[in-house]
Amino acid sequence: MSTTKNTKMMHALPVAAYTSQEWFDKEMELIFSKTWQFAGFIEDVAEAGDYISVQAGLNNIFIIKGRDGRLRAFHNMCRHRGTQLLRAIGKGKKAITCPYHDWTYDLEGKLISIPKKEEEFPQLKGELHQCDLNLHEASVDIFKGMLFVHPDKDAPSIMEYFGEVEPYLGPHIVEELVEYSESETEPVYAKEINANWKIIVENYIDHYHLAHLHEGTLNMYDHAKAEFGWIGPHYWFYEPLVPEYAADVKNASPQPLIDSVPEDKIGAYVPWLFPNIGLSEGESTWSTFHVTPLAPDRTLVVIRSKVMNVSEWEFTKQYTKSSMHKVWKHYGNKGKYEGDPETDPMASGDFMAEDVYACEQQQKSLQSPLFSVGAQAQRGEYAIYKFQSVVKEWMEKHQDK
Amino acid sequence: MSTFYNLKVIDVVQETSESVVIAFDVPYELYETFDYKPGQYVTLKFNINGEEVRRSYSLCSSPVLEEPLRIGVKRVKDGLVSNYINDNIRPGDFIEVMPADGRFYADVKKSNYKTYYLFAAGSGITPILSILRTVLVTEERSYVYMFYGNKSEETIMFKKELDTLLQDYGDRFILEHTLSRPKAKWSDLWNTKQEEYRKGRVDEKSITWFINEYPLYAQNAEYYICGPGAMIANTEKALQQIDVPSSRIYKESFGGKVVQQEVAAIANAALNARLNGKSITTTIPQGKTILRALIDQKYNPPYSCEGGVCSTCKCKLKEGKVHMHNNLSLDEEEVAAGYILSCQSVPMSDKVTIEYS
Repeated sequence: MSTTKNTKMMHALPVAAYTSQEWFDKEMELIFSKTWQFAGFIEDVAEAGDYISVQAGLNNIFIIKGRDGRLRAFHNMCRHRGTQLLRAIGKGKKAITCPYHDWTYDLEGKLISIPKKEEEFPQLKGELHQCDLNLHEASVDIFKGMLFVHPDKDAPSIMEYFGEVEPYLGPHIVEELVEYSESETEPVYAKEINANWKIIVENYIDHYHLAHLHEGTLNMYDHAKAEFGWIGPHYWFYEPLVPEYAADVKNASPQPLIDSVPEDKIGAYVPWLFPNIGLSEGESTWSTFHVTPLAPDRTLVVIRSKVMNVSEWEFTKQYTKSSMHKVWKHYGNKGKYEGDPETDPMASGDFMAEDVYACEQQQKSLQSPLFSVGAQAQRGEYAIYKFQSVVKEWMEKHQDK
Repeated sequence: MSTFYNLKVIDVVQETSESVVIAFDVPYELYETFDYKPGQYVTLKFNINGEEVRRSYSLCSSPVLEEPLRIGVKRVKDGLVSNYINDNIRPGDFIEVMPADGRFYADVKKSNYKTYYLFAAGSGITPILSILRTVLVTEERSYVYMFYGNKSEETIMFKKELDTLLQDYGDRFILEHTLSRPKAKWSDLWNTKQEEYRKGRVDEKSITWFINEYPLYAQNAEYYICGPGAMIANTEKALQQIDVPSSRIYKESFGGKVVQQEVAAIANAALNARLNGKSITTTIPQGKTILRALIDQKYNPPYSCEGGVCSTCKCKLKEGKVHMHNNLSLDEEEVAAGYILSCQSVPMSDKVTIEYS
């Protein structure tokens, strides 16, 4: 926590917004508890009776699928003593229970049984589900194959929230893709980064840095031809492949091309959906970049990736073709500087390592008495200013309620 | 409320060999009076063979499109009114029509993002068609999955209109037909194209198949059912078995008489009724419902369909016991709170006290 009152500004927000516990708590309440929050992929809750729980700001939300195929969401909190222990039980997974004292609810969240009800709770009269002890409902819905939850059961629909930006996202049919990871249970990437969550978002939407920090890693995309803008609180971004890669992408791509993307639409779609989920929709992979704030200066980043649903053999063939392709002599995988790729992120040839390094180094400077934002690139860094304004406005808007 | 207006028939279309669609002209000054929600019905009054008869028909037109009120009427075996309409009504005729009413409707809003499962059988299509068109036109992102049962291909009402909707909204609208008695055709011998129709009725098995075949994407789902009594019961049962909550199920029965249980009602029970601020004391003759007893005594209780569907005749039971022949509109909570349908209630105690609100 910052000890001195820091009134210095980043772009639209004070530096304190990146360092103080007070800001962090306010963001949890006013942003992360009042927005649709990413909760995973639809296949995470594939079968009737499957359930997961996810954190959405200050709320833990329990999602369960019924035999009618419909998802239900409740606050994961037994109405007895608030325990966050809900799970589905029974043969048909038709009930939700808290193992602490076995209070049990039906799939609509209605309380249906309490052990020793007559002896211990004589004050509870009539039908249990009319005793005002049903689970608190939340909202759950699907957008582009992703699950989202909202702590408010009467939240504006997910399409009111994302509908306007949808046409600016990639044409990928996400539901046809399958998740790729080296381990069955782990996502393709998960790391705690020592920086405020907004530093990470700002890095994600910063066009100016692409040609510099990532000059040897993301140079297969044509940054000069990038198009980007804002729809409501959401940022959209598209850039095509560099001509040399585009000319033979079918053979050069490291994985089989995603076939739901028409040839003339191939490129990198890299939107940021407010507040904390980025997508990276490319020619052969489709990924979510989910940011979870842990502390003012600590953030969890989890990336999940999807690829074409084709055989292992197709991947091997494609990889073999790609690895010998001349495009990769000039593009991708090269460190910015010479050095030990194991110890120097700037020599790693890994764009994630480059980004993490830049974010953590920026966070460190925030406590310096001499810190200030010197100047703002008018096109390339406009998004940073805009994102901070969105954060500010969202908090002001929900503060009043 | 229960006022009839004389509306002019501007169009009569032979929809199938057994059904007609009748369009009414609503004069400008009655636009508001005749506004409706998709799924609601109007009540028509006729004088046939010297007797006044009323029947309710669901509107198949959509309130959001600038089009005349339309109803679809299918012939029913021995159906006095439906056959009368099919045989006699011509453009230019005037018919007594009561404005729209009914609790079976979809609350359609532009901002909604929902999945609608629509189940229709036979002429049960009429309110479903209204809901379907209104949702597709108004809610630009909602999905509609429809399951429609008929006897054979020739009896499918609104086939053309549904095909057009499929063309225009194919990305959000799915339609599966099922036929209980499909007719074999010569052309079937060499016709290899994919089956356009499923065989069988709208029953538990086919509904379970349908729901599994078309899982919902927009999670806010609603289920609308309209058809004969048995089809409604089967559909509802199938939905309940997979835990669809009753709060998301909407149903409307029509036509086909529901078998009435024989009950021994009390003869000449005393009736105390409070109606329009007045207290009425009378008796209910053997075999009469509370509503009929009041009408016979020249009182003016609210009613419309007299079939247990519309709930216009709803009143509260303050004292005594009644039996409802047929209740298709009051839910469990209302029944628990003492509400009854006076058109379906016969006395089961010597004294009955009711109150219309």
